[in-house]
Amino acid sequence: MTANTGVAPARPAASGSGLSFAGIIRSEWIKLRSLRSTVWCYAIIVVITVGMGVLLASTFSSGGFGTVGGVQLAVQVATISLSLSVLVASVLGALVITGEYGTGMIRSTFTAVPRRIPALLAKAIVFSLSTFVVGLVSLLATAAATLPILAANGVDVEIDAEFLLPLVGGAGYLALTGVMSLAIGAIVRSSAGGIATSLGLILVVPTIVGIFGLITQTQWLIDAANYLPSNAGSFMYSVPVEGGVDPLTGATMLDPGFGLLVVAAWVAALLVISAVLVKRRDS
Amino acid sequence: MIEAHGLSKHYGSRRAVDDVTFTVHPGRVTGFLGPNGAGKSTTMRLIVGLDRPSSGSVTVNGKNYAEHRAPLREVGVLLDAKAVHTGRSAVNHLLAIGATHGIGRTRVDEVISITGLDSVARKRVGGFSLGMGQRLGIAAALLGDPATLILDEPVNGLDPEGVIWVRTLARHLAAEGRTVFLSSHLMNEMAQTADHIIVLGRGRVIADAPVAEIVALSTGTAVTVRTPDAARFSALLGSPDVTVVPTGPDTFTVTGLLAPHIGELAASSGVVLHELTPVAGSLEDAYLTLTQDEVEYVAGGEATR
Repeated sequence: MTANTGVAPARPAASGSGLSFAGIIRSEWIKLRSLRSTVWCYAIIVVITVGMGVLLASTFSSGGFGTVGGVQLAVQVATISLSLSVLVASVLGALVITGEYGTGMIRSTFTAVPRRIPALLAKAIVFSLSTFVVGLVSLLATAAATLPILAANGVDVEIDAEFLLPLVGGAGYLALTGVMSLAIGAIVRSSAGGIATSLGLILVVPTIVGIFGLITQTQWLIDAANYLPSNAGSFMYSVPVEGGVDPLTGATMLDPGFGLLVVAAWVAALLVISAVLVKRRDS
Repeated sequence: MIEAHGLSKHYGSRRAVDDVTFTVHPGRVTGFLGPNGAGKSTTMRLIVGLDRPSSGSVTVNGKNYAEHRAPLREVGVLLDAKAVHTGRSAVNHLLAIGATHGIGRTRVDEVISITGLDSVARKRVGGFSLGMGQRLGIAAALLGDPATLILDEPVNGLDPEGVIWVRTLARHLAAEGRTVFLSSHLMNEMAQTADHIIVLGRGRVIADAPVAEIVALSTGTAVTVRTPDAARFSALLGSPDVTVVPTGPDTFTVTGLLAPHIGELAASSGVVLHELTPVAGSLEDAYLTLTQDEVEYVAGGEATR
């Protein structure tokens, strides 16, 4: 009864509390944590993040790696799982909303929140925050586990902003991609369709664009691939390089901040479309 | 108080709800009757804004449902016992719905107890029987202690004990001055629960009257007569407004004349009567009479598609 102070306007206590955004946030938090799929997906994210990082760190033998590029190496080790864990976050993001459409729960949700968009927004906020926290905790845990292994192999990394920012960026990428799938789920309204569309956008589209770009040697196509969510997102957890060109592949790299902007634009665009549809459609 | 004015909902060319106008008043149980596909559920979804009307409007307590500051405290609704995530426990489901309105643990425990779900409250809803699902839906409807209750087929899937429980609950809520609007296809159920009935057929209101009046529609319209002089007496009764249908060697059914009139006629013509029985109308008969054309029309419409 006291949970919705602040957002809800003051009202006579006799009539009881009304609908408030704080209450809707609380409701979505209860929903998120009371499903097994949430627990499973987050557990998988933690396990593969730490597991893959430790596995990768252990395969490095001493020598061959100087202190030059040590930060790049340490970040890469800590974030190696992201291309995989992002798929798990994406599946969970889609399920958060399609699970309600599939079971009919959405009618209970929209009866309680008849304006609907606050419910969609609350879902996006609650899910992105919890995914960000899970992502950040697992990335920091991976760093804590892998830095000593790297140090034993002669790669000493200072724990400073240059090292930590990419980890924060990685957690942000995980959260934003999850929300993007949530928006896609709200648009297609089915679990199978939502998951397939999201994974297609994250996995298949970049591959196709990349292959076509390479085959046809079309530079603009290769550059355009940088603006796909998973490619732009990968810059969010990379250490910026002088000149913005990958020293290994020669590919153009985006600044992490710019990568964040691109991914955020995808999320915003899809959220707006989903909000319009959710508001307009019968359910 | 629920007020619908010229409410319509079209799906393509199909008119699920067609220019419906009615008022559901507080303090009594209003039944919503109609054959399957008549538009009862659609109308109820329109009331709480899950579907948007093609034209017309419907208000609850003077406002559109979505415009209320605390919708769940105005209206409690059971539209579909399956409007629940199967992976969540009953108590978490109710806590999540209640949280939107700042309704907490105390009230959730109350409605769980009212609906008799205590023993299964912590189990996942996926394993619930249809009856338990209905009880959970009713618990959710009661969460906000609302002045108006809309229950779509609340006794569906309930055992006889549960049916009596819903009936008692509906009557109790109406006696407290609340507006209770419930649909059912079980006529006898409606006769025992409702004070007032709105009959819907093919998306239109075909009757809107107190239960007694609806039952009276068919009461007294038919009288069974038994007499050893059947042939002569039935000829005496015959007139353009009166139909006489023989049902046995010495019995026939008269429609168009009331029993006292037939008795007087028998006395004045010296006919001995062994039986003179007005055929008691039931709500079921009245309902069938009212909806017969609608049902046939629907069936015909389906066939030509």
